[in-house]
Amino acid sequence: MKLRIVSAAAALLAALGGLHSPAQGQGFKPTRAVEAVVHTGPGGGSDVLARAVALMMEKEKLLPVRMQVVNKPGGNGAVAAAYLAEKKGDQNTIGFFTGVWLTGPLTSSEAKVTLRDLTPIARLVLEPAVIAVKSDAPYKSLQDFVAAAKKSPGQLKQSGGSVTSRDNIVRQLLQKHTGAQWAYISFPGGGERIAALLGGHVNMMVIEPAEAGEHIRAGNMRVLAQVSEKRLPGFPNVPTLKEAGFDIPAVPQVRGVVAPPAIPKENVAYWDDVFQKLTKTASWQKFLADNQFEDGYQNAADLAKFYDEFTGRMRGILQEAGIKLVR
Amino acid sequence: MDILTGLMHGFAVALQPANLLWCFVGVLLGTVVGVMPGLGPPATIAMLLPLTFLMNPAGAMIMLAGIYYGAKYGGSTTSILLNVPGESASVVTCLDGYAMARKGRAGAALGIAAIASFVAGTVGVVGLMLVAPPLAKVALAFSAPEYFSLMALGLAMVVLLAGRSMLKALLAMLVGLWISGIGTDPFSTTSRFTFGRLELLSGIDFVVVAIGVFALGEVLACMETRAEGQALPVPRGLRNLLPTVQDLKDCRFAFVNGSVLGFLIGVLPGAGSTIASFISYGVEKAVSRRPEEFGKGAVEGVAAPEGANNSETGGALVPLLTLGIPGSGTTAVLLAALVLWGFKPGPLFISENPGLFWGLVASMYIGNVMLLVLNLPLVPLFAQVLRTPGYVLYPLILGISIVGVYSVSGSLFDVSLVVAFGLLGYVMRKLDYPAAPLILGLVLGGGMERALRQSLMMSQGDLAILVTRPICAALLAAAVLILFVPLFNKLNAWRLQALE
Repeated sequence: MKLRIVSAAAALLAALGGLHSPAQGQGFKPTRAVEAVVHTGPGGGSDVLARAVALMMEKEKLLPVRMQVVNKPGGNGAVAAAYLAEKKGDQNTIGFFTGVWLTGPLTSSEAKVTLRDLTPIARLVLEPAVIAVKSDAPYKSLQDFVAAAKKSPGQLKQSGGSVTSRDNIVRQLLQKHTGAQWAYISFPGGGERIAALLGGHVNMMVIEPAEAGEHIRAGNMRVLAQVSEKRLPGFPNVPTLKEAGFDIPAVPQVRGVVAPPAIPKENVAYWDDVFQKLTKTASWQKFLADNQFEDGYQNAADLAKFYDEFTGRMRGILQEAGIKLVR
Repeated sequence: MDILTGLMHGFAVALQPANLLWCFVGVLLGTVVGVMPGLGPPATIAMLLPLTFLMNPAGAMIMLAGIYYGAKYGGSTTSILLNVPGESASVVTCLDGYAMARKGRAGAALGIAAIASFVAGTVGVVGLMLVAPPLAKVALAFSAPEYFSLMALGLAMVVLLAGRSMLKALLAMLVGLWISGIGTDPFSTTSRFTFGRLELLSGIDFVVVAIGVFALGEVLACMETRAEGQALPVPRGLRNLLPTVQDLKDCRFAFVNGSVLGFLIGVLPGAGSTIASFISYGVEKAVSRRPEEFGKGAVEGVAAPEGANNSETGGALVPLLTLGIPGSGTTAVLLAALVLWGFKPGPLFISENPGLFWGLVASMYIGNVMLLVLNLPLVPLFAQVLRTPGYVLYPLILGISIVGVYSVSGSLFDVSLVVAFGLLGYVMRKLDYPAAPLILGLVLGGGMERALRQSLMMSQGDLAILVTRPICAALLAAAVLILFVPLFNKLNAWRLQALE
């Protein structure tokens, strides 16, 4: 084990050696610790990403100040988004968003702040997913699962997050495409979803590749298909949805960075530059590879266009699913 | 790896001077965090994460785990002395702990809490070491229906928390259940009882209610008396500062009950230490020969929940380390830490990182001894807090409570909420409504609702799922039995009267 740590440390040092030019913004620089707002509690997906980014910023010396993660959980991202909106013009605050910041306002009337009201900075990550079953399940392919679901409609079960989460959207798309029906059981914690699958209480789940990896290695899970446009390096022998014969969009979980409304142009340029530099560092590339994330980098201008396209697509999917939309 | 060789290897890791130091730093920080109401272990560990990247992972893990179980030791201190729950798992400790303090037995209560924590904490580590992998598999048999029944069992404990009037206890519990429903619907994401307030979307934090109802309610009630001088009787002489031999004898069963129940409930990823502490308190009272003493300063009423919330930490590490499944806020942060350090938590974690696992286990034995040595001498010192005159102590409690709430959320809205709940606590006290059932309803409400709705999704709306699954049915049967305990006690009293 010691050897592993030493080699990991060596790899890290090598990575650090590559790049250490501090970011040069024109004019603007944060003057005090930067607040990074996330919508999950400590340990949640956004929280872990923000803390990882904070560390990399420090190691790669991209920021002259420290980055502090602030947790504002609740309302599927609505609380964090509103907190950012309240910080109008604040130059030392940014926020980490996910797809639910876009889908949340579609279904909740209290979630008044949409990403449109905040200042786009960068899209960072597209998280692919895999469709997994327990290793002793009879399904060898996604076709098997769908056939079984057709045979007894509503009897098979899938565990996942909230109804607006990617897990459910993938299910809706698959159901619509195939005409099969199965139940969706929502678990707020990621751990509970996996426990429900491993305990045999549900039959299938959509899971992040890195998380599934360990359970596959231990022989507890089998992957039927991947929710990704092209095969992931960690799963060279597993077909993508399209290859498996399901021609539906591979909905990614999207993660990125926004700033409060009404911040000066030069600040946007500064953050744009910092995150662009971050995504080029070796530590970032290693982070993406470790988690089997796709590099989803888009700059501030492209991100704004992405919002509309993504929101439009989600609106259609949620409507199909019979979820009540408020805007 | 053989357990004995593993443990030897673990002690070799844990006894390295640097790791010993990190263990000490962790348990010390944990005690401090536990004593302070508000700031809890998940936030503390998250804040310290950046520092841990400069340490080796074994040392870092040892330190972070130290904060986790150390906080459970500290949590009882303010519960006993000031009626301010330091951690959510220490709410039950307020009931008998504070009652003991009012009788001048604060020292004994603090001492018993430390000893129970030590015994149960150690039992929890033994459990983690011996039965982790097989037990984790058993825990997977629990899903939504079982969690619903477990929480129903917890809710049934309300009949044991009632004072003179069962009706008032049930009403208080209903209010607690209602408060737990405020916020965002966990499934449809629509909002409930938020009155258009954004702050209410995430629901009302349990800490806000507990601090308001217990601490502020107590302060308001005490302000009426205008007592000069000391607020509470101060124990005199070393003999009265520590638990007596009789206390220890009275707690024999509580130690076992707290240790075992706490560990078992801890292993279940969907339960948590607050439920563990409530259930072990209820069980202790249900089997006690003197249930009428509970709530009036029964020493077992401190030992059982304090033990349970400590052995729960050992239990909660089981699904984390053997399956990579976190069950609570703190274990979720520990999981994130492992991932950020470059480990892959999952079923193979222990076999591939034996040094880390056994080092952690060994450090937890050492850490528990450190905590006992650290906490017992502090007892007389902490007990001196009671020497403070009321006009100093009560404003102090007020300050600590408000700072504690603000430190969790950084929101002034929550501060006004805590004041509102303080007034509620005061009114409840005046009208003789017990506060504990309200907290019980609040703690269990959210989880119960979720579990029930998940169960019904699984069964497509058929309630039979709750009785056709064996574990589920057994837990429900136990809940019904608990409901009959007060009746049984009454019958027994009549029988004794008739005999005379």
